[in-house]
Amino acid sequence: MDFAYTESELAFQQELRAWLEENLPEGWLEGKRVVPENEDQKAVFLRDWQRKLAEGGWAGISWPKEYGGRGATLMEEVIYEEEMARVKAPPVLNIIGTAMVGPTILQIGTDYQKERYIPKILNGEEIWCQGYSEPNAGSDLAAIQTRAVKKGDKWVINGQKIWTSYAHLADRCFLLARTENTGKKHEGITAFLVDMHQEGVETRTIRSINDRRDFNEMFFNDAIAYDEDIVGEVNQGWKTSLTLLSHERVGVARQTFRLQKQFEELVELAQLLKKNGRPLAADPLVRQNLAIFRAKTKALLFNYYRHLTNTIRAGRPGPEGSMDKLASSELGQEMLAYAMSLQGAAGTLWKEDAFVDQNWQQEYLRSFAYTIEGGTSEIQKNIVAERILGLPKDIKY
Amino acid sequence: MDFALNEEQLMFQETTRQFLESKGDLTLPRDYMNGNKQVLEDLWNGLGSLGFMGINISETYGGLGLGALSLVPILEEMGRSVVPGPYPETVAFTAPLLEAYGSVEQKQKYLPEIAAGHRKFSLALLEENGELSPADIQLKAEQRGNDYILQGKKLLVPYADIVDTLIVPVRTGGTSQGEYGISLILVDCKQPNISKQELRSMDETRKLFNVEFHDVAVPSTQLLGAENEGWAILDQGLNYVNAAFASTMVGGIERVVEMSTEYAKTRQQFGQPIGRFQAVKHRIVDMKLALESSRSLSYYASWAAENNAEELAEAVSMARSFISEAYIKAAGANIQNHGGMGFTWEFDCHLFLKRARSLGNHLGSPEYHREKVAKELGWSDVVPEMMML
Repeated sequence: MDFAYTESELAFQQELRAWLEENLPEGWLEGKRVVPENEDQKAVFLRDWQRKLAEGGWAGISWPKEYGGRGATLMEEVIYEEEMARVKAPPVLNIIGTAMVGPTILQIGTDYQKERYIPKILNGEEIWCQGYSEPNAGSDLAAIQTRAVKKGDKWVINGQKIWTSYAHLADRCFLLARTENTGKKHEGITAFLVDMHQEGVETRTIRSINDRRDFNEMFFNDAIAYDEDIVGEVNQGWKTSLTLLSHERVGVARQTFRLQKQFEELVELAQLLKKNGRPLAADPLVRQNLAIFRAKTKALLFNYYRHLTNTIRAGRPGPEGSMDKLASSELGQEMLAYAMSLQGAAGTLWKEDAFVDQNWQQEYLRSFAYTIEGGTSEIQKNIVAERILGLPKDIKY
Repeated sequence: MDFALNEEQLMFQETTRQFLESKGDLTLPRDYMNGNKQVLEDLWNGLGSLGFMGINISETYGGLGLGALSLVPILEEMGRSVVPGPYPETVAFTAPLLEAYGSVEQKQKYLPEIAAGHRKFSLALLEENGELSPADIQLKAEQRGNDYILQGKKLLVPYADIVDTLIVPVRTGGTSQGEYGISLILVDCKQPNISKQELRSMDETRKLFNVEFHDVAVPSTQLLGAENEGWAILDQGLNYVNAAFASTMVGGIERVVEMSTEYAKTRQQFGQPIGRFQAVKHRIVDMKLALESSRSLSYYASWAAENNAEELAEAVSMARSFISEAYIKAAGANIQNHGGMGFTWEFDCHLFLKRARSLGNHLGSPEYHREKVAKELGWSDVVPEMMML
């Protein structure tokens, strides 16, 4: 058993740290970490960060060198996530492009697609979104109803998508649409690369409970795509989408590392806030709760390391990622709820009137999405039950 | 990055499982509960000949010279089979303390016998108020000639009936409250004036005794470590043995997850296996998550023990607080998953619940260990009081 990073891993870490110190937005490392709330300013802010990452060679580190990546090892990717979590780096606007669409095109895309799309993904010139969920296809994703029908040399797309992050800022969409109705849900789906700047595509932002507008609805009314925009084969889109998912090599690394940081901040909060002139952290009951969170936070990290060890030994990730996702999302919720409790009656004050730091309130509300997005906790539990424990499958229709 | 057992350790795991299965697996604790003490002797001899009694004893004294992490797979397997006997006390507590602090004579006398499976140890720690702090160690050991004379009573001593030697923290000097003045004495049980009173415990696989010392004369060569400086040694040993208990509990959790999984696959109600109902299957997943977190924390605790890492105390207390609660909860859920059958004496579910309970507050309750974590991390300057009775 050995937690230590190798020399080359440490060198990688140092290089990234030095770059972050130079390039993070002004005041970011000192704690002034506010992404503009105004949607236009926010878009500018996120595009700037994306461009900086690309210029520094930190946008798609796992990409092969000939396509502008670093050919990073699995451990380097993990360290990358650790460092980004440590400094609470701004969100990556083109994450769908760099982490999923790009690698998928490189793996199974055509030469045309590689030439046309790859350079612009990395430098952030074209932002991507992912058109998967629909109003009637959430957890039951294969039930999608958006249709693409071939007319002449065109595919004509009609339907609605929902929960699409950053669709309102995106230039391109990785879209799953039904191209054939065989009666079997997983058949007859095709993956398209769709131009968002066309008449047949409309996006509408969704206001979330945290008063943000990061999610969208997308409406396709006779939107157009061509044969050259299909990834993988026609009617084999489900397979393509699995290829896309397989590029999530590092699992919930970022959330795991972020929670380590969040735990430290929770302790700081308990030391900062006072009751009867004494820090809350001196209250035995509070200390008990902090110690519970400490154990759970460390357990999450070591679970992650154990699963990472399995991935390294086996050469590919196993279904254990579902356990990490379950545990991290639920722990995140618990800790943020506790941070709210610690703040007492003033805890609900938010935005510029927030008691301590508005990020607590913001993230507390955001945390209700943790156990829904990327596969609900119920779906993750089914995966663990069926694929890891071998329990009977749910009845599916 | 490599956070998993190595090949040798995995081999220990497999060998221990085969050995325990050949000895009857869960019939071992059952036989012991029914009064068959030979079970322990057979186990001990078998483990001795496999080399598993001397894992962490140096080769000079007949052991394998490995560290605490190599005990983990063996301890987990023992927990799976709810094996009775003072293996953690002997191997995880006594052996490393003898290695580190024993005199040459003590090492020669005890270590080869432990490694061969011919000597068992227990820890006679608690006194009247059942707490663990320096002030709670009051049993007097007065120096008389070349002997210490022990006078007093120790409570809740595991396996006092069958062990050969007790490690007894006593007061040899200092004030009556402080750390200074506490010494550790190795008391061989084959001597007069030691009386043992058996206590009935819910967990009949771990027998407990009150032990009284009536002017027991022990040669001063039986002092372990320096006189009056025993508290720090005891504390170190408690970290080691708590890491070991954490691993046995992980084995127990693993077993109840398997039992529930198997039962949910085969038990049919409403025309289908009950494992198809999410209320059941998701509860088993919760048990599985608790198992994996427990295992991770126990690995970390034993990693810290093997490396005498700075964070040893925190790692161990974190593991113990989390795993004690996880085991109690998982063992309870296992009964629920088995329905009425889980409530019977005949089914094995209760063995795990009772073991979970008897270890849960043994050598520190979850609350005690959490307070210790808080202290280790500097959240407070309050010294934790151990509540055990």
